[in-house]
Amino acid sequence: MAAPNVRSISSFSRNISVVSSPQIPGLKSGPNGTAFISSGIRDLDRILGGGYPLGSLVMVMEDPEAPHHMDLLRTFMSQGLVNNQPLLYASPSKDPKGFLGTLPHPASSKEDKPTAPDPDQGESLRIAWQYRKYLENQKNAIDDYSNDFDMRKPLERQFLSGRPIDCVSLLDSSDLSIAQDHCATFLSKFPRLCGILSYLISITLSSFESIKFVGHTYGANCAQAQFFLHLSYTSKLNCPFFLKNLCIVSHRNSSNIASIGRIAIQSFCSPLCEYSEKESDMLSFIRLLKSMLMVSNAVAIVTFPPSLLSPSSSKRLQHMADTLLSIKAIPDGDKELEKLLTGYKVINGFLNIHKVARINTQVPVILEAKTFSMSLKKRRFLALECLNQAPVDGSSGTSYGTSGSCSSKSGALDF
Amino acid sequence: MAESIFRKLRDGGEEGELAPALTIEETVASPFGLDVSGYLLTNLSSSILAGKSSSQGLVLITFSRSPSFYLQLLKQKGIVVSSSSKWIRILDCYTDPLGWIDQSSTSFSEGSSLIKLHKCVSDLKKLFSSIIEAGRELVGTGKTRFCVAIDSVNELLRHSAMPLVSGLLTDLRSHAQISSVFWSLNTDLHQEKVTNALEYISTMKANLEPLCPSSDGQRNALENLFSVHQDFGKGRFHVRFKLRKGRVRVMSEEYHVDQSGINFSPISSVDTVIAATKSLLPKASYLDLLFNYLVCVSCYNVISCS
Repeated sequence: MAAPNVRSISSFSRNISVVSSPQIPGLKSGPNGTAFISSGIRDLDRILGGGYPLGSLVMVMEDPEAPHHMDLLRTFMSQGLVNNQPLLYASPSKDPKGFLGTLPHPASSKEDKPTAPDPDQGESLRIAWQYRKYLENQKNAIDDYSNDFDMRKPLERQFLSGRPIDCVSLLDSSDLSIAQDHCATFLSKFPRLCGILSYLISITLSSFESIKFVGHTYGANCAQAQFFLHLSYTSKLNCPFFLKNLCIVSHRNSSNIASIGRIAIQSFCSPLCEYSEKESDMLSFIRLLKSMLMVSNAVAIVTFPPSLLSPSSSKRLQHMADTLLSIKAIPDGDKELEKLLTGYKVINGFLNIHKVARINTQVPVILEAKTFSMSLKKRRFLALECLNQAPVDGSSGTSYGTSGSCSSKSGALDF
Repeated sequence: MAESIFRKLRDGGEEGELAPALTIEETVASPFGLDVSGYLLTNLSSSILAGKSSSQGLVLITFSRSPSFYLQLLKQKGIVVSSSSKWIRILDCYTDPLGWIDQSSTSFSEGSSLIKLHKCVSDLKKLFSSIIEAGRELVGTGKTRFCVAIDSVNELLRHSAMPLVSGLLTDLRSHAQISSVFWSLNTDLHQEKVTNALEYISTMKANLEPLCPSSDGQRNALENLFSVHQDFGKGRFHVRFKLRKGRVRVMSEEYHVDQSGINFSPISSVDTVIAATKSLLPKASYLDLLFNYLVCVSCYNVISCS
């Protein structure tokens, strides 16, 4: 397979290529043959090492007291629509399409952007000449890949009309069969030739017309749940019956990817859904979704409130995630916290990163910090920042099993 | 803070938003959820009658107490409710929730328009339409709003599954004519995820913490029982408000229940709770220490004498 057109990257290297693929906007090559799509929040992309890897499952643990998981979903969906990536959205509301009206619009002018490295202003901003070209390339690359979103401005109609958007209400069925069918149909449009042997059979038989067979198989308990088997018969070949093995390694070379899909499922275990008491069904659905994603060029983000599940089911869902995030509310008017944190007044909540997806590698990511504050810069742009605190004792790291429903202010902060 | 909760319920939500919803959590050790509901009910009724509320009517759904109890409660607070009252309707789900009684007795229905007997608690769609119908009798079908009070959802959860109850409460919140909703729940009767689910769909959560912790499995049970009896009816009232920006406001005050009802006061001092707990636990340990000391001294005396 042709190597990606970037400087060689080893798994020990921290530098990740910033050059996006010129063929597909919104896609970036990463280390170990992976490809990333943007989360819609530049700070989060940077923290996660590039974005969400294709084929991964992102799970966000909600805090019932804070709605910030909706901002993560909104930016994810808006980024997909801006990059013209098909979208499937499922939520426990009667009219999921209404949520599309709350999606944010990308910041357009330079004045709107929170950070504007402008290499054109040569006199006011002194950048050495040899770096100007780099900045220009980076700026262009970033614009194709990710955007800053103005949370106050709704997404314009041009990004919504005529785009392949599928909205599903999770209230429609008493079990998850409708959602399952929608996901399967959606993901079948973004197949990835996966790491199994695929056979191409050619038979020269003049009396036969061309036959195509496409098979779908779902295995709830096995890793690879969906594959295509394509058999074609052609009468043009004069060679005898033979088997041709095509062994394709699991490399997501961007040149092989035709299109990318995004799935957003909001409040998966909402108490409004009839299936919310059937925990085994919910676990099976997520397991199936994960296995379908592994053989698709798509990313799914699922938000769920862990306090509404039994501890064992919550733990299982967390284990199934490739990337695991959690949201925590911040108490208002807390004077002790105000003394502890700088910028307390502008912080709207906390984002904890428990797990970062690592594909095709055994090397884990060790983040410098796991807790970030969520705030709105200029009251518009979502920003994630490391927490700045005065030196105190007693801050212990959290395991992702306990932070979902944590309400104490000191035990959950991890610096 | 009970006053803050009352103001939020009185003012209701803004147009286009879901109505504010309050969950009052009581426990076996502090079973005063209905007292808090009664407190909010009387205050809301006063504000509706005075014209200071964003809503112009109140629909009360009774599950755990009879309608006459609430009429008596309002009367004690100086609010007289008659059959011609046009600001309140009561849906009686207490008398015959499952429709076992064939004929409704006329003794408790003071005017058929004020109190309506609801016989099918397990059919939540019918209950929802009854609530909306009762509300529209008060305020009409325009933009005027009414508030809804459910005295207890324990009985609802007994007859229906959690998703249906959540659906009912969310439908109430989503209705354009409902300004606010509140209900009470005994957390000891349900699984934790049921309590969490109700907290998930509400915007305010109030819970009652008793002054003294429960004294299970301790020695000197009679002594503890006396202390528990003395301190029963007192404790802390904690409220969590979900704010729009995604922040949470936590407030606390003390409550005290007596013959006249429940009263709230700011937290006097931190030591009162500590002193109360000390009255139970350290007494036993001081006695033990004293006993052990006396035993040691007597043994020493015996040994030294022998």
